[in-house]
Amino acid sequence: MTAPTPKQIKTIADVGGLVVADDVAERIAHAIGPAYDGFAAVAGTLPMDLEPATFLVVQNTKAAK
Amino acid sequence: MSVIEPALLSLTEVASAIAQNKISSREATQSCLDRTAKWQPSLNAFMSIEADAALTAADAADVALAKGQSRGALHGVPLAHKDMYYDEGHVVTCGSQIRRDWVATTTSTALQRLKDAGSVRLGSLQMVEFAYGPTGHNAHYGAVHNPWHVDHVTGGSSSGSGSAVAARLTFAALGSDTGGSIRLPAHFCGVTGLKTTVGLVSRAGAMPLSQSLDTVGPLARTVQDCALVTGLMAGFDPLDPTTSTRAVPDYMAATKASAKGMTVGIPKAFYVEDLDADTARILQDTIATLKREGINVVEVDLLDQRQLSAACQLLIVTEAAAIHKRWMIERPQDYGPQILARLQNGFGISGVSYLETMRWRGPALAAHLAAVIGTDAVLAPVSPIAAPTIVETDVGNSMGAEAMIQRLTRFTRPINYLGLPSLSIPAGFAASNLPVGMQLIGRPFDESTVLTIGAAFQRATDFHKKCPEMT
Repeated sequence: MTAPTPKQIKTIADVGGLVVADDVAERIAHAIGPAYDGFAAVAGTLPMDLEPATFLVVQNTKAAK
Repeated sequence: MSVIEPALLSLTEVASAIAQNKISSREATQSCLDRTAKWQPSLNAFMSIEADAALTAADAADVALAKGQSRGALHGVPLAHKDMYYDEGHVVTCGSQIRRDWVATTTSTALQRLKDAGSVRLGSLQMVEFAYGPTGHNAHYGAVHNPWHVDHVTGGSSSGSGSAVAARLTFAALGSDTGGSIRLPAHFCGVTGLKTTVGLVSRAGAMPLSQSLDTVGPLARTVQDCALVTGLMAGFDPLDPTTSTRAVPDYMAATKASAKGMTVGIPKAFYVEDLDADTARILQDTIATLKREGINVVEVDLLDQRQLSAACQLLIVTEAAAIHKRWMIERPQDYGPQILARLQNGFGISGVSYLETMRWRGPALAAHLAAVIGTDAVLAPVSPIAAPTIVETDVGNSMGAEAMIQRLTRFTRPINYLGLPSLSIPAGFAASNLPVGMQLIGRPFDESTVLTIGAAFQRATDFHKKCPEMT
């Protein structure tokens, strides 16, 4: 997963319902880039059968000390 | 009672004193109001001060008690909370221009449970606009100031809660913690704060920021105070289907239990890096205190916290943007510029990326729990630094402010992503005389253990008893 470019952000935001100017898209790209980079090693590696509610299962399993 | 100023008592002390008729609710309430009148001009901690209504309610509490009618553990205790907890018939601004005049038509479950226990409303406390910022700045209502040094930030987003509890204007205050918003003000203002496990306390009637991460919890003067408030609020709520159905433990009993023989893990990396000299010293001092109290200390090798922090950021910005989308389109001019910019960031995240962060939470939590086997809790600084100044963290006016903000929030976000409880305790003072806090991070729904260790620490130290003086 790579951080979206300002051009891609304009498209994503537009599809999401928010029109953003070029300078705003540039700023967003700069702001979220580090988070994308930080998550890059995980993104695209998750197994197919993993679903989000697994979090609740783990949370409610008595953890070993 | 021989106490000159009732407001200086802790929550548990004042609740006990009122219950035993040693002081009246009116005396406690008047004491808080007197201090607020002195401090408010320099702190800006309160959003609204409702003196007449508070005294009327206090008088009613005193009359009821005289008839032997106690409502509960907080009978007659005056409290104020972050202005994001809906309270029917009251304006709840959420720190925003958009809700400046918005009157709640319901009462949040957390607040209702404290009311049911007998608390008296003092007013409401300032906060960062829509709880979306870690410093305490607010474009509409002004920054909240740190009572230890008014040029410095309180931390946010529960800025008024941190400031008011530290200055002894309220005995406790609700905050909310989505990325650090209880622990950061607790750390910067020198008070105790408990970020609860996701699902322990109902969020019904609490303004949302990120529905996967939002948690409700107290800021107060002592661990015992936090235990009392949390015990009253916790537990299943049909209005919030994400709340756990498990029985609520006796948190007050946990604060009286021995911590001897427990084991605290110190992370080998991340939380011990980039600390300023004061924070590094206070971390070592805290470890030494725990050892003296008979607590074992071992090193732990946690998974990459940078990945957790990144996932947390992607999650928050996307959910916050979705929550605010309508207003962002219809009335963007009514947001402060910093908050609008943060909300806009969420429109740069794809649906696939968002869902990947949601899917990873389970495996990440499992990996964390495996890494901390053999420990009862993990100890880490809340932030690498003590409170910076308001000016140097003002994004609109200071070069490097954004980098400073990223630095001071780096130790809180990973815990939110994992949904864990974390207790922030005052642990010392920097050379600047600004307080420094440490966090005890527990397992899901195991608030009891961090409360036990935190209470043991507070029995051995007096940092939580230090009170800032007005200069």
